[in-house]
Order: sequence, then structure tokens, then C-alpha cells
Amino acid sequence: MSSNIIDIQNLEMVIAGRRILKVESLQIARGEKVAILGRNGAGKSTLLRCLNGFVKPTAGHIVVNQHTVFPLRRERDLCPVRAQVGQVLQGLHLVARLSAMENVLVGGLARMPRLRSWARIFTTEETQRAQAALKAVGMAHLAEKRADKLSGGERQKVAIARMLMQQPELVLADEPTAALDPTAADEVCELLVKATENSTLITVVHNVSLVPMLSHRVIGLKAGEVVLDCASHELTQAQLDHLYE
Amino acid sequence: MNWMQFKLRLKGRLGFFGLVFLYALIVFGCVYSLATAGDLSMGRNPVANFIKTATEFARPSFLDVWLGDPAYQYKSDDGTVLRTENRQEVEQQWLVQLGFATWTTFKIATLGSLLGAILALPFGVLSAKNIKAPRLLTALSRLVLDTSRSIHTLVFGLVLVGIVGLGPTAGILAIAFHSLGTYGKLFAESIETLDMASIEAVKGVGASPSQTFFWSVWPNVLPQWVSSHLYLWEYNIRDSTILGIIGAGGLGLLISEAVALFQWGRLSSILIVVVLMVTAFDAISRRIRTALL
Repeated sequence: MSSNIIDIQNLEMVIAGRRILKVESLQIARGEKVAILGRNGAGKSTLLRCLNGFVKPTAGHIVVNQHTVFPLRRERDLCPVRAQVGQVLQGLHLVARLSAMENVLVGGLARMPRLRSWARIFTTEETQRAQAALKAVGMAHLAEKRADKLSGGERQKVAIARMLMQQPELVLADEPTAALDPTAADEVCELLVKATENSTLITVVHNVSLVPMLSHRVIGLKAGEVVLDCASHELTQAQLDHLYE
Repeated sequence: MNWMQFKLRLKGRLGFFGLVFLYALIVFGCVYSLATAGDLSMGRNPVANFIKTATEFARPSFLDVWLGDPAYQYKSDDGTVLRTENRQEVEQQWLVQLGFATWTTFKIATLGSLLGAILALPFGVLSAKNIKAPRLLTALSRLVLDTSRSIHTLVFGLVLVGIVGLGPTAGILAIAFHSLGTYGKLFAESIETLDMASIEAVKGVGASPSQTFFWSVWPNVLPQWVSSHLYLWEYNIRDSTILGIIGAGGLGLLISEAVALFQWGRLSSILIVVVLMVTAFDAISRRIRTALL
């Protein structure tokens, strides 16, 4: 097994004549915790969404967990990759009309036989795992509540529980603490770190104070290009000033 | 004043007053043309007519089942008794007729709605913007929906009675063809307002397209469709009461009979039944809808 879970080569993305991303070469090792920093519009989220195929770059090669994500001929081939990539994004990224419990069960869909998943019939093992996942994020008491009735922090916890259910190799988090109050943000971050102990975690972070908690390595993007790549503890104020200037 | 300033003013209060003025002009035009043509008269004796009609309405015919004269005499002008009639018995029979007619109307509305919903499905899906069907298909299905919406149920009914003959079949088809347009529009709207984040959330865990459909599109769209269906079903119950007038059977037939014979008491009974039926259905469907959404 290759030690790199992500391998990006000559990635370029151009929309309407404007270059959004240009990453010549970027590798992320298995188990690494990476934070992506940069100003609004620097291409952080786009880069993240390229990794599970929700955004198609203009050119380049992307390999995630030994699966080619780009270029790819059939959309269907993304399913096995996505099954190994968990995501925790900003805002409501759950099925609003389903309960917290059902949203967690979504995490196991890729492993379920089709027919059984259509009919929403779950094995005892699956239900127990989903319950355990909810319990792990402290949401067991709200299992029956509909996702759109949950608060922002609770939603992120359900998303983390879904990820626990999914057991992915790689977790992509796009500003998971945006729009959360500081206490909730800390709580969600702690849960995220704990949930990804054995996997790779890539987080887009706006709040620089969360960097030490979430990552060992920092990648800075500026106008779509990687301008900074260092260990989290080596990050200096001058580098940050340059990144956000 | 530069161009931008002018545009902003046009959009703001000034523009609104302009629109109000335009509207007032239209209303004035309507009233003026009717008044000059002498078409705004209220008839020769509106007050007396109103009181007479209202008194008859106030005594719905079904009361005669208990209060009616058991030996009502029809007399000619010179006082000879033409025939006697047991009013209680007659009204009782009519009430049974009313019951059957109500049932027929309900059947027309129910089957017509279901047929309309089924027929509307492909057009609704094709005309939703985010489905991105070929442009020609989208335009065609929009045309079908708009046409069906703009033609009144009664007009459909008149044409269909000529094709399939008198009876509930014409009514069912008329209801279906007219409500198809509304169904299609509501279906398309619910597809257009699909929550894309929830679709990506399910896709993101590696779910197959069919799983994404059943776990994200389905729970998003189904409650809205059931809700629209209940709403239109109820609307069609009201709509189908009138269809009997053109020969499609049901309550409308009794309405046209009562109106033709100036039997306001019977019309009053029919309207009470209609109101009760619609209110009951509304109460039930509202409960189901709030539980769903």
C-alpha cells in the first residue's frame, strides 16, 4: 500500500477564463492531519471538493487512496472512492427530513445491499453501530429528532457520527466550525479529532487558533496556488500575514 | 439625475405608484364601460327578490323529511285538487338521491385527481429547470401544462361529454385534464426546490444513484407531492360538484335541476352537503399535510 493517500499532479482549474486552482504537485501521507489556510476565494473549498469528485478540474491527475478521481470516464466509478472519504462540511449537510439516526445510517449505505437500503431495512449490527456512533458524539438522546430541527452544533455532531458509521480512510472537513459559537466549535473540533484518530484528516480552517488542535501540517493557498507547506508548529506570524495580506 | 438614479427611482416608490395608477386606470375603464352601456343595473326589484330567495334558502328541503306536510295538495286555479303528495316521503327519496349524487361526485373527484396526478408526472419532471431535459421537451411539456391549466374543467367537460357521452367518465377525464396543469406545475416546483446539499451529503458517502434517489430525493419530494395531491383532491371535490350541470353526473345534476325549478330549498340542502364534505376533507387533509411537512 502506498504511503500517500492523496497524490495530485499538475492540477489546474479554470472557470470562465479565470484560474481558480493551480497545484503542480501535492502529496498527503496516510494518517496525516492537514489544515488548509487561505483567504476567501483562494481555492480551499474547490481543492477539497476536487478530492471527492464533486468538482471537476480542467486538467491534471488526482489519485485518492489508489483510486483515480480525475480524469475519470464514468461518474459511477466515484462511488467506491467516496465510500472511503468522509465529509463534514459547513451548514446543513444532512438530509433535512430524516432523523439524526437515519442520517447516521446513511454513512453505511455504500456497504449495504441495494434492495435492503432502498427499503430501509437494517441489520441489528448496523443499528447498533449507528447508535454507538450517536452516543460517541453525545447525541444519543436526540436520535429521533429531525435533522432540520437540530442546532448548528448538533448537526455537525450528527455529521461526525455519520462519518464514524462510514469508517472512511480520509476525512474532508470544510470549515466544520463556521457559524458555531466558540464552545460548540471547540466541542465539534475535539470530536472531529477523536473520530479521525486512525484516518487522514484534511480541514479547511478559517480560525487559525484551531490549527494546532486539528493538524500537524499546514498548507496555505493564495490565488489557487500552494504558497505555504510546513509543519503546524513551525507556522510563523509572518507567514500568516503574507498568506492573508 | 443620472441613469442609475433614474432606474432606482423607477424601481422604488415611484414605480410602485405608477403601477397602482395603472391598476386604477384598468378598474376605472371596466366600471366606466359597463356604466355607459347601462349594464350595471341590479334588476327591477333586488331587495324583495333577495328577501324571497333568502327565506327559501333558510329552509333547506331536507327539513321536510320531518316537517313536511304528509298530504300536500296541488290545486289548480279554480281550487280543484289535482293530486296529493306526501312531502315527507318525496323529500326522503330525494335525500337518498342526494346521497348517491354526493358519492358520484366524490368518485369523479378522486379518480380524476389520481389520473391527473399520474398524467402530470412526466410533464412535471420534464419542465423542472434543474432536470435539464432537452429544451424542446421542456418547452413542450410547459405548453401542455399551461394549456391544460388555462382551459376550465367545464370546457373540458363539455367537449368530453361529446366524445365519451354523458356520465361520470366525462367528469373524471375533465377533472384529470384540467388539474394536470396544476399538478405538473407543483411537481416541477418541488423538484426545483430540491435541497442539493442533502443530495450531496448522501452521494458523498459513496451511495449509488438509486440509493441517492431513495435516501435524498424521495424523502424531499414525496411529502410535497402527497401534500399537493391532497390539496388538489380537495379542490377537485369542489370543482366536480359543478360538473353535473353539463351532464357528467353527481351533485351538479341536482344543482341544475333545483336551479331550473327555482327550488332554492333543495339547492340549500345540496350546498350544505357540499360545504360539509369540503370542510371535512379539508380538516383531514390539513392534518395529514402538517404531519408530513
